[in-house]
Amino acid sequence: MGLAGCRRAVAKLRLVSRFEEAGSALENQSAMKAEDVHWVDEPTIGLWEAMYVPAILGGLATTLRHAFQKPVTQEYPEVAPDLPPNYRGVHRLNRDAQGRVKCVACMLCATVCPAHCIDIIGDQAPWADRDKYPTKFEIDELRCIYCGMCEQACPVDAIELTSIYDLTGVSREELIYDREKLLIIYDQTKDNPKDPIRTTGGTLGPAAKILGAISPPTTNTKC
Amino acid sequence: MAIVTINGQDVEIGDNERLNVIQAAKRIGVEIPHYCWHPALSVVASCRMCLVELGEKKPDGSVSMQPKLAPACQMPAKHGTVVVTDSTKVKQAQATNLEYLLLNHPLDCPTCDQAGECFLQDYSYRFGRSASRMEEPKILRADKPSIGDQITLFTDRCVMCTRCVRFTRELSGTSELQVINRGALAEIDIYPGQPCNNKLAGNVVDLCPVGALCSKDFLYKQRVWWLKTRESVCPNCSTGCSITVDQNEEHVYRLRPRSNPQAQGHFMCDEGRFGFKYVHAAERLTRPAIKNESVSTNGNGEVAPDWSRILGRVRQVFSQHTEEDPNGVAAIFSPWMTCEDAYLLASWLRSLSPAVRLALGPIPIVGEDDLYPKDWRGEPVQPPRFVIRAEKCPNRRGVEAVLKHFQQAEVEIGALFDDARAGKLHAAQVVHPGPGGWLNGDQITALARVPFLVVQGLLKSDLSDAAQVVLPGASFAEKDGTFVNHAGLAQMIKRSIRCPAEGYTDARIFMELAGHTGLFNARLLRQEMAREIPHFAAFAAGDLGDQGVRLDASVASQEVAAR
Amino acid sequence: MTLTLLLVWLVKIALVIGAILGACAYLIYVERKLSAYMQDRMGPNRVGPWGLLQSVADGLKFILKEDVIPRHVDRFLFILAPCIAMLTTLLAFAVVPFGPTSSDPKEVQFVIAPGIDVGIVFVFAVGSLAVYSFILGGWASNNKYSLLGALRSSAQVISYEIPLGTSILGVVLMSSSLNLERIIQSQADQGLAGWQSLFGWNVWMQPLAAMIFLVSALAEANRLPFDLPEAEQELVGGYHTEYSAMKFAMFFLGEYTHMITVSFLFSALFLGGWHFPGIAGAGSVYTGAWAIKVAVLLAKVAAVVFFIMWIRWTLPRFRFDQLMSLTWQGLVPLAFLNIVLVMVVKQFGWPVWVLPIASIMLFVGAVAINGMVLQRRMRKQRLAAA
Repeated sequence: MGLAGCRRAVAKLRLVSRFEEAGSALENQSAMKAEDVHWVDEPTIGLWEAMYVPAILGGLATTLRHAFQKPVTQEYPEVAPDLPPNYRGVHRLNRDAQGRVKCVACMLCATVCPAHCIDIIGDQAPWADRDKYPTKFEIDELRCIYCGMCEQACPVDAIELTSIYDLTGVSREELIYDREKLLIIYDQTKDNPKDPIRTTGGTLGPAAKILGAISPPTTNTKC
Repeated sequence: MAIVTINGQDVEIGDNERLNVIQAAKRIGVEIPHYCWHPALSVVASCRMCLVELGEKKPDGSVSMQPKLAPACQMPAKHGTVVVTDSTKVKQAQATNLEYLLLNHPLDCPTCDQAGECFLQDYSYRFGRSASRMEEPKILRADKPSIGDQITLFTDRCVMCTRCVRFTRELSGTSELQVINRGALAEIDIYPGQPCNNKLAGNVVDLCPVGALCSKDFLYKQRVWWLKTRESVCPNCSTGCSITVDQNEEHVYRLRPRSNPQAQGHFMCDEGRFGFKYVHAAERLTRPAIKNESVSTNGNGEVAPDWSRILGRVRQVFSQHTEEDPNGVAAIFSPWMTCEDAYLLASWLRSLSPAVRLALGPIPIVGEDDLYPKDWRGEPVQPPRFVIRAEKCPNRRGVEAVLKHFQQAEVEIGALFDDARAGKLHAAQVVHPGPGGWLNGDQITALARVPFLVVQGLLKSDLSDAAQVVLPGASFAEKDGTFVNHAGLAQMIKRSIRCPAEGYTDARIFMELAGHTGLFNARLLRQEMAREIPHFAAFAAGDLGDQGVRLDASVASQEVAAR
Repeated sequence: MTLTLLLVWLVKIALVIGAILGACAYLIYVERKLSAYMQDRMGPNRVGPWGLLQSVADGLKFILKEDVIPRHVDRFLFILAPCIAMLTTLLAFAVVPFGPTSSDPKEVQFVIAPGIDVGIVFVFAVGSLAVYSFILGGWASNNKYSLLGALRSSAQVISYEIPLGTSILGVVLMSSSLNLERIIQSQADQGLAGWQSLFGWNVWMQPLAAMIFLVSALAEANRLPFDLPEAEQELVGGYHTEYSAMKFAMFFLGEYTHMITVSFLFSALFLGGWHFPGIAGAGSVYTGAWAIKVAVLLAKVAAVVFFIMWIRWTLPRFRFDQLMSLTWQGLVPLAFLNIVLVMVVKQFGWPVWVLPIASIMLFVGAVAINGMVLQRRMRKQRLAAA
């Protein structure tokens, strides 16, 4: 009974979200009608439920039934967890086709980071196809909350979150990852099918395309 | 009284005012976007961003509009002018013009220093269209990092507003910058081998509405949206340019001029713009110390700051010497001190004894006043529009006025040094919250003979080495106060960052020396000074506003009139 | 002779204490495993085969951990409290028979203190002292959460003691003895033959009393759904917030020992003790009968323990007012009605089968009345809201 109720609620939610997606949400919201609001009443309790004892017995039956079901536990160190493709683990700094750090030190990730865990110092790039590059790029992996907003903010797809989740260290300093370490993580994870390079554009503006000495845009979305 | 109608709203314009339509519209909060127009520069109407519908109200009440859009910057706001800035026609023109300006723009905002304070970004967001219809490859032009010692040019970001070119022609008169090529290939450039290195060159960075001209000093140091801004006054010469101090996390990254017709206009010189570096110098004094005394350390082996003990000792020695021989006690004020600091120090020493001598230290004069614009020979053109003063200190007049109030007869600083050399001074306090190189070697040797020399300053120097007691002070960015410029204009400086390490502000040091309780409040102290010293009567409000107040109205503002 | 007796006692005491403490350790393991299974997990499985050494590891951890005594506590009472928790529950076990006993002193008596006629009273008297451990622990901790836990605990334990004691009176009346061994004996010796002797157990004769006893015992032992004194979400840890290492372990052991004692009592009072039709009867005299009887009793105890754990992982915690109204408005009146019923049946010599039927009717009636009252209250609330 409870499950059925749950399902109904979920269906309702889906309906609402679809309703909001449709067309301009603003106009629809203003035209929201009374019947669009779903009121949930406290369910009436019959004599049977009010007596509690049957419910208690039902509960006991439920737990007993589960005791004989197969556990759903994944035994972690022996069995690797099956992570979803968009899992947000340790960061990496991508390289371009020439193996240089892709980051242009725009500091948008540092700006958007809600945990203030990214510390970048930028400088004049030694390369012809871009103006700026990071001389220091540090992420405090302990401070990070793995929200993935840096990934979204990055205009050149340089910072990405990988599926590495087993992050360990014996000191806090050890878990402040610098530029080289983040690039090494890229080298380690770029061939992992779980961590596709999510690059779409990859180069910094058309300037890079014309001035030569440039990395061709990597457009592959798979690895 | 002229009445201009802007978007159906009437704007009154005074008889003596000469405004264009952009300025008139700004009065009622209507923003007309513009790139090439700048209040201090001539009008060229080349960017076409400020196109609006213009018309005229006839005496009979009928309105006749011009058939085509016209640039608002070029249109004087005269009586009967009718302006429409929000019609579809205008909006379309703005959007199309922005699309055109962005045709060859590299859109490298992520690496552009201007991002965040860029008018291309702002106007595109507010007036532009979201997508470009450009299909051809963009014309890309090489950057010109050698365009000047302090400035660099990202040629492809330029929108050809020519503000920089006009600045070097009209304000500095040096005319280094020019436009080369024509049409879509037009670029800003210098004459071969003649980089833009005049003393006002940094202003073209501020003038540039986009990220084309950037300051090499600030390049890639910070994103501008991280900077916190406070109004202040440039301490590098007696012009007293109004500036803003931009800092992030207790580090000053740049100074920018702030428009103030009372003080200097819209600009500032490079000397002032880049002359704040001593604030973060490695030689900054960070902790109070008494010479030849072992320092106590805390548990971590660090030297514990011992302000109260050291200040107590200074107070005790000074009062002891004052009792014995008040003539042997003196204080040397630096023209970098704020009026408030000078007032606090003077009132403390005066409270010890009226015979204590207070002297204003040497005034640094370097060369002659540097007047701009120059003609092609390098001679100043009359009337000058910008002056870099030879008097390289911000507050000579303020400190002088304070000292004059406390002692009628001025104490000759030379005589004081002679006394020191002759061993007649027993205790002296030298306060210098400014850059190094203030006193020369002779003067320092003379002061080194004072048995109890207290030096309060920013930087470690021969002077601080000669001192018995060293007190770290606060630079102009670290304290509240008032500077009085060459023309008697008093302007507030505001605290942007904290003193380094265990430093105290100067005012706090003086208050503790005088045994005052409570916190230093510049506003209240200014009000007290206004009551005590007639010269500072204009301080009565406590707050001097953005533009400052004139202490002496009779110190005529010929320059302002000329400007 | 006396020396031998003394030795036998000492051995018995050592055995029993060892067995109980060992059982406690493994009950924790069993509980964790059970809860895991009921929640589709695997439970402890890292230490030793199937995680069997988990309890050893836990014990070692408890012993080796730093035993923090905060500076702000009352040191003497702080240390005394866990000792009382352990002591009282272990002491109560002295009169609980864990196998057959007989009046023949030559035979091995499966109880530490045989022949105590007020055994059941002793158990309750000593068991009630356990509340001192909570109160002292909570008070000595000098911490508001601990104190709140202790206050709740004292209110709860004192309230539930009434139905607990009253529910037993019926059993005592039926077997005319306060001696636990004799109560078992009387259940085994109801005069019913064969498998029907199963119905001699008090759980059939007085189902209502059995239920009241079980519920009250759960509350006495601070087991879920009555573990309000240590409700983590509300009280951090309740009376043992400030305790760590071995002292915390002693509270923990006390709780599990209490559970074992309660299970023994329930088996003895209501499940016929060592009696099981066809295997172990009152008159079984075959070789090794005592071993069978011990096994039967232990199996019953295990079943009760399992049931208690099962309850814990099924029912959520009561609210405090619900807890109080359950005992004062539900269990106490029912327990008194039950005694009256037993007394009436016994006085007028009605047939024994009247007892279970009337008992069940009482229970069903009470449940139904409760349900109706609840329904009416809800209807009123809804009306008021509308």
